[in-house]
Amino acid sequence: MPELRVRFEDLSVGYGIPKLARSVTREDVERYADASGDRNPLHLDDGFARSVGFPGVIAHGMFTMGHLAHCLTDWLGDPSALSRMDVQLRAPVFLGDVIVADGRVKALDPKTRTVVLDVWVTVDRDGTVEYPIRRGEAEVRLSAE
Amino acid sequence: MAEEAAGPMNPALEGKAYPAVPFTVDPERVARFRATFGEERDIVPPTFATAAEWAVFPGIIADPELGLDFSRAVHAQQEYEWHRPFVVGETLTARPRIALIREKGGHGFLTVETELIGADGAIVVVARATLIERGA
Repeated sequence: MPELRVRFEDLSVGYGIPKLARSVTREDVERYADASGDRNPLHLDDGFARSVGFPGVIAHGMFTMGHLAHCLTDWLGDPSALSRMDVQLRAPVFLGDVIVADGRVKALDPKTRTVVLDVWVTVDRDGTVEYPIRRGEAEVRLSAE
Repeated sequence: MAEEAAGPMNPALEGKAYPAVPFTVDPERVARFRATFGEERDIVPPTFATAAEWAVFPGIIADPELGLDFSRAVHAQQEYEWHRPFVVGETLTARPRIALIREKGGHGFLTVETELIGADGAIVVVARATLIERGA
């Protein structure tokens, strides 16, 4: 079993988790389509994506959420500590983008050792920061050792 | 009567349950999922739940009673409640229903709630996917 790396006692409101950046390639999006079963042509066919107003295929919203979840489970160590996520998908992610997952503690409940975080994903396009995910929320449960 | 999906979704379908389908946590698919996110550890990424949702979405998207025009739909919101981790090789039951249908500002909102149930009958994950069907 993977080990929990985060201690409830070490956290406080405002604590920032380590950011996690990654690039997005066509191969990544195709592999995600295979793995998830979401084969919407918006993610696989440039011609179709252009016909609905995008410059080319876009990544799945759940690809971006998956990266955010990976950022959280990387930080936690034990993925089973992640008990809830709720995100809004706000902006498309294009091939070649670098997406950055991030989060900050907003509430702690010592009785249940539950931590609620604000979580989000940004992409910087020529100095303009967009939010493929904003106002996301994650809940983690940190059981005592 | 099934209608062509030009108009809004049928609000009477809020609450409709769809047939449950089996979903196996297939080791090869888990491996592909892990590779996508650069997960090097031997775990099932929590958002593998998305693959289970895609076992039931096609039946809902194609439901003529619902009247969803999927070509105008964007995935707007997603929630997961994880009750326990997935076990590689286990077969779960995916039980979908329409939790919400709303019309707002000329756009349609559809929330599909899918419960993933373990062999012991206990809930493993609850997933809520919200699509916006943009006004035509």
